[in-house]
Amino acid sequence: MKTRITELLGIEYPIIQGGMAWVAEHHLAAAVSEAGGLGLIGGANAPGEAVRDEIRKARKLTDKPFGVNVMLMSPYADDVAKVIVEEGIKVVTTGAGNPEKYMDIWKAAGVKVIPVVASVALARRMERYGADAVVAEGCESGGHIGEQTTMTLVPQVADAVEIPVIAAGGIGDGRGIAAAFMLGAEAVQIGTRFVVSEEAVVHENYKQRIIKAKDIDSAVTGRSHGHPIRCLRNEMTREYVKMEAEGKSFEELEYMTLGALRRAVQEGDVARGTVMAGQIAGLITKEQTCKEMIEEMMAQAKTLMKRD
Amino acid sequence: MLEKMKEIISEQLSVDADSITENSNFKDDLAADSLDLFELVMALEDEYSVEIPAEDLQNLLTVGEVMNYLKEKGVE
Repeated sequence: MKTRITELLGIEYPIIQGGMAWVAEHHLAAAVSEAGGLGLIGGANAPGEAVRDEIRKARKLTDKPFGVNVMLMSPYADDVAKVIVEEGIKVVTTGAGNPEKYMDIWKAAGVKVIPVVASVALARRMERYGADAVVAEGCESGGHIGEQTTMTLVPQVADAVEIPVIAAGGIGDGRGIAAAFMLGAEAVQIGTRFVVSEEAVVHENYKQRIIKAKDIDSAVTGRSHGHPIRCLRNEMTREYVKMEAEGKSFEELEYMTLGALRRAVQEGDVARGTVMAGQIAGLITKEQTCKEMIEEMMAQAKTLMKRD
Repeated sequence: MLEKMKEIISEQLSVDADSITENSNFKDDLAADSLDLFELVMALEDEYSVEIPAEDLQNLLTVGEVMNYLKEKGVE
């Protein structure tokens, strides 16, 4: 399926993978790219050299293009921004802030810059400062979230900017892709479903928790201090929400979740860890290869949209 | 300029124009979060035909600081 995004990125299908911290490492990124989407290595809080290592390992697994997600609040964001240029990466998505200060070095190196945005004003600003596309991410997504839903955000962003829009948040099958296109998107970003792919190097407990999740299993922690995070509910989220209601300080709450994402993703502690996943987790029922997932989703989307 | 600023801020942040002074701090006094500030800065760029890059934004905490900044950029 051709869209401005597939043309811009040189990919077969209009699907990009989310830059999930602790999950988006080289095996997953390479598998998504090999399957015709755009894989992403998640920079998260990793130092520049660690990201360089991931990029080189992904290159050994695929000749197809893949990108890097830069978490702008990372203390290593400056280093990661440079490594991207040095390693010849051609696509960057950015999260948790405003990537303006890297725009010049990236554009000079021919890097396509795709900021993740949670509002129309930020989308317009990114366009004005040279972004090639934006990811409009609704609060159905896992991890750090904004307030607007995908249903409301995507059409408003699509109307506000000329550059192509990638929809994210709550998309896990071909129906979600078709719906996103109806709202004005020209590609989708998918995270949660790829967590349970065969290629994702995460703890089996984490995958199984997503596969077993029901529609109502999604929880949001951290609303009280303005940094809401969506994950699957468990012992930790119940305690967290209770402590928030009791008015516990940001520091006390932070302490409880220190390293909790790693505990869930790598150690498989799905009771006390932060089991990051979007609201669509309830729809996801099985482990498959990335190729199977992408081909199944695209076949369904094409039938629904009556287009190739 | 203050009157025009009040009008823009009041519209963008949904606050009462009379509650805005030169000393108003966007975050502490007007309860603006980061998305609100992007709304505001885009409106200011449109109104005054200037560019306000991100590295300057972090130093603009009050209404008065924004006014001084705009004046330095040649806005009357």
